[in-house]
Amino acid sequence: MSDKRVPITRVNKFFGSEDFKLQESLGMEYLHGNLNFTLVLFSVDISKTKTDRVYGEAAPEEIRFYPPVEFKALVNIAGPSNDSYANGIMRYVENGTLTLGVYIKHLKELNIDIKYGDYIGYAETEDMTRYFTVANDGKITSDNAHTIVGYKGFYRTIVCVPTSEDEFNGI
Amino acid sequence: MGKINKKIKKTLNMYPVVSNQPHYPSGYDGRSTPKRRKQLAEFISDDGTFLPKSVLHEDLDLGLLEFVKDRLRITVNGKAISFVDQILTLQRWAEFADTWSFSDKDLNPKIPFLVVVRQPDVQYGTNPALIYTIPDRRTFHYSKVPTWDGQRKGMDLYKIPQPVPIDITYDLKIVCNRMRELNLFNKVIMQTFTSRQAYTFVKGHYIPIVLTNISDESQMSDLEKRKFYSQNYTLQLQGFLIDEEEFIVTPAITRKIALFEVGTKTRKKQMEPVGDNDGNFVENIIFTLATGLSITKTFEYDATIQILELKEIASYTISVNGTNLSNGIEQFYITNGDVVVFTVCCLTVDSGYPKTLVLGTHLA
Repeated sequence: MSDKRVPITRVNKFFGSEDFKLQESLGMEYLHGNLNFTLVLFSVDISKTKTDRVYGEAAPEEIRFYPPVEFKALVNIAGPSNDSYANGIMRYVENGTLTLGVYIKHLKELNIDIKYGDYIGYAETEDMTRYFTVANDGKITSDNAHTIVGYKGFYRTIVCVPTSEDEFNGI
Repeated sequence: MGKINKKIKKTLNMYPVVSNQPHYPSGYDGRSTPKRRKQLAEFISDDGTFLPKSVLHEDLDLGLLEFVKDRLRITVNGKAISFVDQILTLQRWAEFADTWSFSDKDLNPKIPFLVVVRQPDVQYGTNPALIYTIPDRRTFHYSKVPTWDGQRKGMDLYKIPQPVPIDITYDLKIVCNRMRELNLFNKVIMQTFTSRQAYTFVKGHYIPIVLTNISDESQMSDLEKRKFYSQNYTLQLQGFLIDEEEFIVTPAITRKIALFEVGTKTRKKQMEPVGDNDGNFVENIIFTLATGLSITKTFEYDATIQILELKEIASYTISVNGTNLSNGIEQFYITNGDVVVFTVCCLTVDSGYPKTLVLGTHLA
């Protein structure tokens, strides 16, 4: 992010920063106050994680994390897939992808970032939390869909895929 | 016609001695059954009858599973990698029953693990030792087994057909999350199959397994799916089928009458001079179908008898004038008029060579 700040004047005939903030606050009120989907971010501390010198791989107990942080997001979980490891044998069924819509402002307020490879916990029931790993951190929000009338990007779409217990199973 | 080269060998040694072989410490003489062959025969007939036991598809499958479990199972993070200890079939509940012990909270198999999938089609074998040699399931002599019905001694003839060669192809799969685990497993595989084949042991038979192919089916390219490594090692087991249902047991000779026709013309045969033997000589006692497994001999001299060698004989007992000597005695003393009975037990596998007890006699 550049230190140089540039005023955004596009579409200013009918939409400005005040309108943007209003829309943003309305959306956040709806998402956080009404829907209230809460998730937990386990952000990997890359500097402290022990990795293999050649492959950069780490065993579950070798991965180090920053303190877990709760955050709010719009949650969309795809249908589970019924698949197999060996041509129809060793079948497994697992969650579809977890797609999150999260306000950029919300992440800034929490002083967190969600990056590729981080783990996210979603409490599916009272006694079961499913874990996903971030496959697309959605840091580019330039497309029209992520802006309000083309004014400025205001949310990120984060795609997560299920993770196996051998990789991550909570801390 | 030129002269015959004197260096040309005019006689062939029918019983060459092969030295420097660990299983034949005194050299292989071409006649006695080698120790290793005896050992292999004992493996086959161990804990059973004189006949080999059936070797069928499930025995070969089990042999491969044992091979993978004992020879190829690696350790990851101090724990043996999970292994499905059965051949998985299309029955869904069986698959679950076999994998529940290492399943996660959704009852999916937990990574990493090894699994063996048998390709359902079993092909005619390619093992050159067995392929297309004897047609029509003809049976062949396997062994002769002595019988006793309370009155008569006899023999049963055991015959079996040539085993049927078959090839079974297995896919040995490793599914894991890390390259290090793949490397470890690949190392074990390569070390095991460095001579192209390795062997499993099924009911006394060594069955070769050949590594035919290695392929990768890892889930890596789809960014929005869970990633994992999956590698497939194709193993071909070159086995054979032995079916007890095809064995044949037939009675052989139980009684034999030997008739000799002797000429009436008498002609004195000149005695050949006998060389000095300073009272020592060697005598062979040969057991045939005519003599049975017991021979009685009356000695007409005083001597020390020594058992020098057993040919095609497993064990023997000796009685002198009705008194049994201790089993396996190697030297004993006889006097003029002693009646000695030699009784022997044959080897399980009959090589067809005469069963001979070689006696060394030293006259008193």
